Amino acid sequence: MTGFAPLEIHITPGEHPTREWFGMTVNIDTVISTLVAGAIVLLLGFLVRRSLTRPTADYVPTKLQIIWESVVGEVNKQVEDNLGKVHPFVAPLAIALFFFILIANWLELVPTELNEEAHLLPAPTADTNLTYAMAIFAVVSVWVYGIRTKGFKGYFSHFVQPYPVLLPLNVLEELVKPVTLALRLFGNIFAGGIMLALIAAIPWYAGMPIANVLWKLFDMAIGGLQAFIFALLTVLYFAMAGAGHDEHDDEAHESAEPHVPAQPELAA
Amino acid sequence: MAVKNTEQAITLAGAFVGGGLALAGGAIGAGIGDGLAGSSYIQGVARQPEAQGRLQTIFFLTVGLVEAMFFINLAFMALFVFVLGGK
Repeated sequence: MTGFAPLEIHITPGEHPTREWFGMTVNIDTVISTLVAGAIVLLLGFLVRRSLTRPTADYVPTKLQIIWESVVGEVNKQVEDNLGKVHPFVAPLAIALFFFILIANWLELVPTELNEEAHLLPAPTADTNLTYAMAIFAVVSVWVYGIRTKGFKGYFSHFVQPYPVLLPLNVLEELVKPVTLALRLFGNIFAGGIMLALIAAIPWYAGMPIANVLWKLFDMAIGGLQAFIFALLTVLYFAMAGAGHDEHDDEAHESAEPHVPAQPELAA
Repeated sequence: MAVKNTEQAITLAGAFVGGGLALAGGAIGAGIGDGLAGSSYIQGVARQPEAQGRLQTIFFLTVGLVEAMFFINLAFMALFVFVLGGK
């Protein structure tokens, strides 16, 4: 059977154009994409603020304002449920992480490839440098918050908490948190990028446009989901660092008590 | 990835097989995990259809975490095949 000779696919995952800054090698396309994603988030924020301060007779919230308000409301609810109050560092950090990672993931879907060599705006989260930086920032903030809330002895005593024999497991769990946070986000977006490159190699008569659209929709959903998970896990790590094991039991007892006085009212 | 001698060929072959094993294990685990999460979600909604909105958030959170294990495996596959296979 005379088959087609397969066309050569030039996919080079993990290769970035680099520059030398202060003796260190920097992936310049990730830096540019990060700046562009950050600028887009800031632009959206300032647009919402501008529409808020403009006085109108009958004020109808714009779509952008509704999106911002729903996200901020959800994050504030999660932070309040888990930390007890709307903490002034945790809630803005979670909101910023969610929007920045969302826009950074969705940058992959905009076709900015000039040719096979020059991809102007690849997804910056497909580079482990960015995801490790964000994960380390989040986890170090969690550690500082935990030490500030519970004191040195209180925070380090939680490593030997249920049984002292679990000390190596607890320490490993704590050290693995930034690694899993970073690699989860990196793996999802990196795989999406490789899949897009593979789909681009399919000839048009074999259904490339359909596969392209379907995969891009799926990648949008995955990007949104991973941004949500990164932000939510950051909030949960803050909550776990601030609350001890005893406090969980106290909260359970406290939430059980208000139910008892309600029953006499129903009977009356 | 130009192969110059037998030792490099063996390293490359080992890297490909290792990457394939990582992907296989990850896919099986992710499939089973997503299936379990979906089955619990369906049972919960079948018991109490009003809870669908609340359960949906938890379902997608669990799916995201389970898929993360697969994608971490994929990141290691990329490490094996593209970086370590060429050495």
